[in-house]
Amino acid sequence: MDIDDLLAEVAVDAIPQETRDLHELTRCWVAERVSPEILPWPSELVDRVLERIRKQIELVEDQTGNMDPKTSFKLIIIQTELERFKFLVRSFLRARIKKIDTYPLHIKALHNTSLDTPFPLLSPSELQYLTSHQALLSNHYSSSFLSQFPASLQRLDDTAGGISMVDRPDEDKAVFVRALRDVGEIFVEGTDRRFEMKRGDVWVVRWSAVKRWCVGCGTGDVELI
Amino acid sequence: MALSLPPGLTPPEIAFLCEMELVTIIPRQRLEGVELLAGPIRPLHPPHRSNIPLWLALLLKRQRRANILPPPWLNTHSLTAILDHETEHAETFSPPPRLPPQPSSNTLPTSPPFLPHSTADAAPDALPYHWLELGEMLLEAASDDFEEADNVRKLLRGLREVRMAKLRSGVEVLDAGGGFKMNGVGGIEVGEGRAFITGVIDGLRKIAASREQQRKDRDQEELENGYSGTANYDDDEMDMQ
Repeated sequence: MDIDDLLAEVAVDAIPQETRDLHELTRCWVAERVSPEILPWPSELVDRVLERIRKQIELVEDQTGNMDPKTSFKLIIIQTELERFKFLVRSFLRARIKKIDTYPLHIKALHNTSLDTPFPLLSPSELQYLTSHQALLSNHYSSSFLSQFPASLQRLDDTAGGISMVDRPDEDKAVFVRALRDVGEIFVEGTDRRFEMKRGDVWVVRWSAVKRWCVGCGTGDVELI
Repeated sequence: MALSLPPGLTPPEIAFLCEMELVTIIPRQRLEGVELLAGPIRPLHPPHRSNIPLWLALLLKRQRRANILPPPWLNTHSLTAILDHETEHAETFSPPPRLPPQPSSNTLPTSPPFLPHSTADAAPDALPYHWLELGEMLLEAASDDFEEADNVRKLLRGLREVRMAKLRSGVEVLDAGGGFKMNGVGGIEVGEGRAFITGVIDGLRKIAASREQQRKDRDQEELENGYSGTANYDDDEMDMQ
């Protein structure tokens, strides 16, 4: 470790938690917008950010009556930033809901297996949305037509005949990634491709091949762009 | 309400990201410090320079409360040099700015848009990740802070053309099966190329899917039979030819 590393370490510690949360949330948002699969719910990060947003809204409401031009300009800055944060959170959540809507049964199964790990896939409200939406849908299907089918044809998650009815995302989809640290050799299954991924490199590569290094669902050595 | 956009960032979203880049301003008015959600903004005292996010710099600029100092790579001299480099090396993009030293292993390294690649003391000889977006936004909002705004604009156009041509010309490399490297690519270029590049790669993969599956099964079998994967690797390649 040389002097540059030491300085860098001090510099990182000097970055306030708020700023680091913005970095992390931005990264999560981009990852969620780009990745083919839904990523584990970053519950602590979102809790911190939502709490701060709530406080900031209170502050804005408190000071809106203030006619002093200096304070009111400060308020404009605060509100602009507030809107930017709200956009980030909203777009992040909507990107997740889209994936939940597209692959409900698959995600439900994944979530149930993820409950044993420290990072559940969905937040409590997302799970509630998923279950009640699915309940409504299957009720509707069965009352409008499914109940008139033979019993063997009524299931919505049939896997008989080698074809599963459960839609799943294409895990081999190509994604753009940037390495945040040296990753080492990456091997793409089923092909002859092996390559070194170094810090700062940008690669187009299959999601399945880099998933375990990605920010949000793996070691965090690689980020999606 | 689910998001109705396809995967991948749209141009406005990329611009939103770019607005988080730090830029250097020279304030023309005093401004008290503000506690923002992303941490505090230090008080501005003219004529001391200050590094603030681009969105805030644009807000101050529009109200004539500050002047923006264009980053050192965004002037005719640097851009001409980079453009020359781009035209000489037809295969690759010009190298991205040097990365800061690696932080300790327990903290997440920062990456664009949060690296100071567009402040007044950034490197003058490399295009950062958000080069085009940042250049366009600064030229639109703060063209009076440039020395030769029109020439800078012209050079940015030129760079964009050269780099877009590179992005388009590389269709053959997309059949790389596993992946390929694109160091130095810019944010908006990723956004524009994403649909085409990933579309071609995914399409080609589906065409070759059965061959890949065979190979996967064979690799699996070998692993189970106790062969060492690498010893057999050369033979496999011979078989393919």
